[in-house]
Amino acid sequence: MTGLVLLQVLFLNRISLFGYVTPLFYLWFIVRFDSSMSRYSMLLWGFVTGLLIDVFTATPGLNATSSTLAAMIQPSVVKLFLAKERREVIIPGRNTMGTGPLAGYLFLMALVHHSAYFLLRSIPLEDWLVITAKIVLSTLLTFIAMLAVALSVEKSNQRRPA
Amino acid sequence: MRSLLDFLVRHAHVFLFIFLETLSLILLFGLNDNQRIAFLTSANRLSGTFFEWRADAESYLGLKGENERLLKENALLRERLLSLSDSLELERVKMLSDEVFVLARVIDNSVRKDDNYITIDKGRSDGVVQGMGVFDSRGVVGVVNMAGSHYSVVLPVLNSRSSISCKVVGSQSIGFLEWRGGDPYSAILVDVPYHTAVSAGDTIVTSGFSSAFPENIPVGTVRSVEQHRMSYTLKVSVDLFVDMSDLRWVYVNSRKSDPELEELVGKH
Repeated sequence: MTGLVLLQVLFLNRISLFGYVTPLFYLWFIVRFDSSMSRYSMLLWGFVTGLLIDVFTATPGLNATSSTLAAMIQPSVVKLFLAKERREVIIPGRNTMGTGPLAGYLFLMALVHHSAYFLLRSIPLEDWLVITAKIVLSTLLTFIAMLAVALSVEKSNQRRPA
Repeated sequence: MRSLLDFLVRHAHVFLFIFLETLSLILLFGLNDNQRIAFLTSANRLSGTFFEWRADAESYLGLKGENERLLKENALLRERLLSLSDSLELERVKMLSDEVFVLARVIDNSVRKDDNYITIDKGRSDGVVQGMGVFDSRGVVGVVNMAGSHYSVVLPVLNSRSSISCKVVGSQSIGFLEWRGGDPYSAILVDVPYHTAVSAGDTIVTSGFSSAFPENIPVGTVRSVEQHRMSYTLKVSVDLFVDMSDLRWVYVNSRKSDPELEELVGKH
């Protein structure tokens, strides 16, 4: 998590394409929660991650709110995209979900998280066009980044001898 | 009763969720500006170190441009030195010696937000306190808003709460430099008296009326002038000399302000 937080605050927050698009890649930490984790620890980890980012970006509560929300919905969204009820412990990824559902899962997580983030950030909500653009474009960017990393991570896992 | 308990136990995490979200939202909306700044500066102890690392790494990348700028500044200073040494006056030198500039490094900065802040690596232990002006070789940057022991938060021109007393070169009429968001390369000079002779291309400098800045620190050039009929003042758009997105080293004006002046101004 430390690495992700540092990556986010030291590099990614500097990115501001066309003044709209900021990738919030730290969400990766939350989408990879495995199903053995208790809801409590998921929520607390989500909260702590967000708060840490807030500390660095001087936006008290902004990331904490959105990442706690992401941590809350994570198990339900995983379930939504799983073909059937699974008993074993799973980490959301291509091997456990398949590429299509994985993409859907990552996209929905990014959309919910980024919507919360940019809506809260843009209060008072005046310029809807700009807010929508920010949400959509940033969601796409984070989604693509997460999908690319997810696919490459699993590839390298498969190559490793069991 | 049992089933109610069961229900509560099974959904206990919902309460944690509500609790955490309430906490976050209190942080987000409940903090007033001062608490926000306190959060900022306490955060600086932690983030300051990291930002310093990043600034270290980035300063290598910008060395070439930085060098060029320093060389140019050097040349300019030499030129000024020559012309000044001709007309050296003892009084003037005495006054200048009271002005001490603290060199500080910018370790965090933003220009894209509605309210931007800059963090520098000098604080109270270096003689930096709230209200001191900050500028670099090109011109005015902002005013120290909160000084921690080793880091300070600067309220740059690119902040809606920033207001700096400035004047048009060649006239004594003053106005206040403010920023309304958006373009990080320009700001607005408001409350300029109606009769002031000012036109596009004129240079704006600090007035020296507040203790934050000495007189004649460059600010920018006039882009356009607009007349405000209701209040009989001019609204002047100013192209800033300083590219706020490219700040590495700044000077803090740590001249001791006259306590008598402070007291008088404070009584307003």
